[in-house]
Amino acid sequence: MNIIVCVKQVLDPDIPPAKFRVDSASKKVVPPEGIPPVINPYDAQAVELALRLKEKHGGKISVLTVGSNGADKVVKHAISMGADEGVVLSDETFEGSDSFSVAYILSKAIEKIGEYDLVLCGRQAADWDEGLVGSVVAENLGTSLVTLAEDAEAVDDGLKVKRVTLDGYQVFVVPLPAVVTVSNEVGQARLPSGLGIISAARRQIPVWKAEDLGVDPSLVGSTAARRKLFALSVPARERKCEIIEGETPAEAATKLAVRLREAGAI
Amino acid sequence: MEQEFDAIVVGAGPAGSACAYKLANAGLQVLVIDRGKFVGAKNMWGGAFYGGDLLNLLPNFCEEAPFERYVTRQKISFLTEEDCLSVDFASPKFKEPAPHGFVMLRSKFDRWFADKAQEAGAVVAPGLGADDLLWDGSRVVGVKAGSDELPASVVVACDGANSGMAQKAGLQKELSSEDMKQGVKEVIELSEEIIEQRFGLSGKEGIAWEFVGSCTQGLPGGGFIYTNKDSLSVGIVVQLDALVKRKVQANDLLEGFKSHPEVARVIEGGKLVEYSAHLIPVSGINMMPELSRDGFLVAGDAAALVLGTGLILEGANFAVASGIAAAETVIEAKERGDFSNESLSMYRRLLEDSYVLKDLRTFRKAPHFLENPHIYNLYPELACDVARRVFIGDGQPRKTTWDNVRDSLKGRASLLQILPDLWQGKGAI
Repeated sequence: MNIIVCVKQVLDPDIPPAKFRVDSASKKVVPPEGIPPVINPYDAQAVELALRLKEKHGGKISVLTVGSNGADKVVKHAISMGADEGVVLSDETFEGSDSFSVAYILSKAIEKIGEYDLVLCGRQAADWDEGLVGSVVAENLGTSLVTLAEDAEAVDDGLKVKRVTLDGYQVFVVPLPAVVTVSNEVGQARLPSGLGIISAARRQIPVWKAEDLGVDPSLVGSTAARRKLFALSVPARERKCEIIEGETPAEAATKLAVRLREAGAI
Repeated sequence: MEQEFDAIVVGAGPAGSACAYKLANAGLQVLVIDRGKFVGAKNMWGGAFYGGDLLNLLPNFCEEAPFERYVTRQKISFLTEEDCLSVDFASPKFKEPAPHGFVMLRSKFDRWFADKAQEAGAVVAPGLGADDLLWDGSRVVGVKAGSDELPASVVVACDGANSGMAQKAGLQKELSSEDMKQGVKEVIELSEEIIEQRFGLSGKEGIAWEFVGSCTQGLPGGGFIYTNKDSLSVGIVVQLDALVKRKVQANDLLEGFKSHPEVARVIEGGKLVEYSAHLIPVSGINMMPELSRDGFLVAGDAAALVLGTGLILEGANFAVASGIAAAETVIEAKERGDFSNESLSMYRRLLEDSYVLKDLRTFRKAPHFLENPHIYNLYPELACDVARRVFIGDGQPRKTTWDNVRDSLKGRASLLQILPDLWQGKGAI
């Protein structure tokens, strides 16, 4: 089974809150200096499911990511886990693309790879939590789609997918090729082995640019975005501390109750 | 598994990356492994790199390296609870003919340096720690990382203070807290303008500022401030066994240091963005392990190549110099096809001939001398008291400076106490 996994680089969720900041003027998250991005944890789980399918059914796993500086690191992470190969899709014109454009770029790359049975994506990216790309890729490719998979296996007439619901699961059998988004219920992504890390470290990850993909420049980048971000800011949190004093505990309690009522808390 | 690597470098700090860069440039197959999630993730220093080793190794260092500022002022201050007496040294010689010091943040610098090694052809694999050595009899033939065995002709241990590799190789004994200092550091963010205004800097100028006195509450050690581009590295370094004996936490000392009026003034309004702590081997040549055995070399902090004289505490330049010497040794050993201890003993000779072991020998008595508590309470107190008497008149007739010194000494110390300190210090620092 030939599987393509789409992965995204996100801000390392382990960074201390003091390092997280946004630039409200440009409406962008400012990446913390010195701390490289990591593979989106849901995408690492998609790689995990791909590896399990490969172990069971054989085949090849290719990894795709759209990104610029350091994007090869997340592809290498997937390779160190056991994926076979990967490509970075990078072009100046991709800068500022929204989820639809990213899905378009990925779809072009998937078509360029050509032979595939299954496309896996994480259920959503841990940065913006939109969960759009997988679905739009399926729409672009005209394949069947199952979201929120917690397990999958190949069967005679396609892929059997167990899909997470609020209080249980559904089982689908879809024809291949298909797009499946993978939920965290699939379980923890494996840690890369030592040899995996070394073999990934020595890889050169190829970069495909817009012209390699045949991407229409008018459909990508910030100008093509179908919606504009209006404002971006970190919510201001205010804390105030007042000491309520009284001659006796009873008096202090009464004053506290009055103050709480004034503040609308009770 | 068939042997792929001429050398495995354990640890991607200044020693490891310098060694790997040099080896890869000579066409050797070299693997660098580092336990950190990414290169630089676990690495720490006070903030400055001194000397020309990096400039010699990397010709475009000044243009390419992600350093924060040059060191263009060196300041040392003696602190009492309230007072501060400083020597502030500025000189064009800091930049001429070549820059003498760079203020850098490790997470940025180490990644850049490892990338340089990678561009030169080294395989750099972060997220991979060496758990043990591979042996063939008494010869080291590689490392074990998790369940993987990684063979190589030689292993260069650059895994820092408390080196697991040097211990596993039987070269370094279990370290004692007497041989270590603990460093704790905060990175405090301030705007570039505020930093330049508060420290009187412009452009890429920067200051390295050391403190001795009340900041360590009489314990052997000191404080420091380095100016980054838009943050300050503020920290203290304290003798580890003294912390344990006095039941003091290093971060409590750091809080005290930060609240000293002279320090509080320059960090005011800053935002704490990073806290880190690290051990520093400080007994110099007295704790240095054997530097090699069959198939094995040890460099940098792992070999305790750190120089502390009281006025300076340097290690990164020694790390780079030793990493380069290790690489030169491995390159020649490869040509000879001989990685025996005898062949690798060239490493020690290279270090003996360079400033690395010469400096450590010159200052071999410094670690013991620096344990003297007078340095951290008596002398800063005296210095500030004399300054108070000289500079702050109280309406009484003035005295000569010499009389002020004598009055200051009264009730604090006798010449009989001070003379032995001077005598010891003469040979030590």
